[in-house]
Amino acid sequence: MVTESTETPTTCTTAITANNVELTYADGTHAVRGIDLEIPRGECFGFLGPNGAGKTSAIKTFVTLLEPTGGSVTVNGYDVVTDSRAVRSSIGYMAQETSIDTELTARENIQFACEMYGVPRSKRAERIDDLLALVDLVDVADKQPSDFSGGMKKRLDIATALVHEPQLVFLDEPTTGLDPRARNRLWEYFRAINRQGTTLFLTTQYLAEADELCDRLSVIQDGKLVATDSPDALKSQVGGDILELTIEGSTADHRAHAQRVARESGVFADCTIETTDEGIAIASEHARREGTDLLVALRDAGLTVTGFDVRSPTLDDVFLAITGTRDVPVNSQTQSGNIDERSLGNSRAQPEALAQDEGDR
Amino acid sequence: MSTTDTAERLAAGNSFSVDVWVTLKRWLKKAVRNASIVFEALLSPFIFLILFTQVFGKLAGGPIQDLFGADINYITFLTPAIIIVTAMTVAIQSGTGLIQDMDSGMFEKILVSPTHRGAIFLGKALADVLRIAFQSAIVLVLGYLLLWIGSGGSVGPYIQTGLGGVLGIFAIVIVYSLWFTAFSIIIALVTQDIESASIWMYMTHYPLLFSSSAFLPISFLPEWMQVLATVNPVTYGVDALRALMLGQDVLSVINVTAFSGIWNTIVPAIVLLGVLDIVLGGIAAVLLHRVSSSQVD
Repeated sequence: MVTESTETPTTCTTAITANNVELTYADGTHAVRGIDLEIPRGECFGFLGPNGAGKTSAIKTFVTLLEPTGGSVTVNGYDVVTDSRAVRSSIGYMAQETSIDTELTARENIQFACEMYGVPRSKRAERIDDLLALVDLVDVADKQPSDFSGGMKKRLDIATALVHEPQLVFLDEPTTGLDPRARNRLWEYFRAINRQGTTLFLTTQYLAEADELCDRLSVIQDGKLVATDSPDALKSQVGGDILELTIEGSTADHRAHAQRVARESGVFADCTIETTDEGIAIASEHARREGTDLLVALRDAGLTVTGFDVRSPTLDDVFLAITGTRDVPVNSQTQSGNIDERSLGNSRAQPEALAQDEGDR
Repeated sequence: MSTTDTAERLAAGNSFSVDVWVTLKRWLKKAVRNASIVFEALLSPFIFLILFTQVFGKLAGGPIQDLFGADINYITFLTPAIIIVTAMTVAIQSGTGLIQDMDSGMFEKILVSPTHRGAIFLGKALADVLRIAFQSAIVLVLGYLLLWIGSGGSVGPYIQTGLGGVLGIFAIVIVYSLWFTAFSIIIALVTQDIESASIWMYMTHYPLLFSSSAFLPISFLPEWMQVLATVNPVTYGVDALRALMLGQDVLSVINVTAFSGIWNTIVPAIVLLGVLDIVLGGIAAVLLHRVSSSQVD
């Protein structure tokens, strides 16, 4: 226990310390392969990675659901193996799947959580009302959540994770499967909770979400952290926005030609210029401003551009920049991170369908 | 004041017994809330009692009077069996409730809380025991009402062993329920799926009931079924309850004479059911420990 602060004498300044954490399942799957991490109190930290990268496995070792098979984890100053009950008292956890009891009303769900965490009886009623207000469920407080929308259920779920005013809250893919409005709303709550001094640890497949919420994030791939930095720093490794061009009758020759034109156009000379199935893709901080000039250059070179898209970098782009490969090795979820803003709200229930969409586009 | 101070105070967790109480309360609330459970609790024993007494009453009435005495009605004979049927239904729901909790994520949510591991299961078990006791009481009252209506107000002997017998009935129902609840939990944890668990449970439930002394005296069953009935725990549960209702040694599958009167039925029944409780309860406990443990292998 660190006792430097006079205001919080019983707590330490580090929310999570992980030393070479490993998790190997009984079937031999190495889900987590040596993670080192130090997350200071009050930070919003994220794990960014595709399905199967080890995000959930890692988070489960932090919240005491799974014992690490190697290394050690300290959460709020308590060891997750030897002092697991103290860890559990001091954290909130929202699982990837929404976890609420649909036979109890919204209020009763929060009340049960209060009782479970031992929130004193005298404080319970006030705490329940506060939380219902925080997640905007006052109007439906006494209804059973069976008919709630996905977003409402998530909000109820997060409320139950906050009953004991935990110092640290774990959110495992908190907005996957929600529509953009519900997602934005949740982000507001998360920011509010974080502003009050609660450390947030979240996992996400979406760079946009990590960008929106996290002070720092780790890119996780195949059970290892491949990069840890601020979202801006990670994005800058991509080299800026992505300009995607579709070239008519796109043969390999066309694409190579277009690539040459782009390189010779001056402003994109030093950028990563990739050929894609239908044309070329350029990562550049000038993508938005100089893109139209390139269109003119391509037309002058005799190429017809039939598609033009400038977008923010996605997880896939970050992966490409950091690991040099688009091939995410686990579970062949190559496409799962390559989801732009428009499809962010699509259901997680159909990852194959999403991947299909991406392929068809 | 900082958030941290509040957090330290708010997140104290509970003692083991409070954890049991919190768990127990949730399951009872769910049982009362769930319309189909309430409906089934009240209606199914009623339907069973009416159907069986109407269909088999005339047929079985005579032989039952020959076997147990002229004042014994088929309703009195059948009531212990319906108590067992009801208890088994609750036990089946015990397992499916656990699967529901796993599917809904509530199980994991509780595991991440400071709730004591043992309290999670003890609380649930106690909730089930309370439900079984409550429903047994309903069946006893229903049986009495039916007798009263059928006999035009002159019920005659109902529970021959008096108040002690009533308490004994509850005790035996609980001893009986434990093995089947444990069985239901084992099936639940092995299948991890409500549909297949239900199929398995009902597939065991009905053959067990019919190949026992539940609905008709053993001597009415074909030879091969009598053999089954000898090793069928339902026979022992029903006969022990029936011994208390009728005040007689009714155990006919094995002949015990070491004790006196109804104890010749009750003692062997409790011994057999107790052993079954320990064996199946032990297996269930191991499996429950495994699912709630954080060790991956």
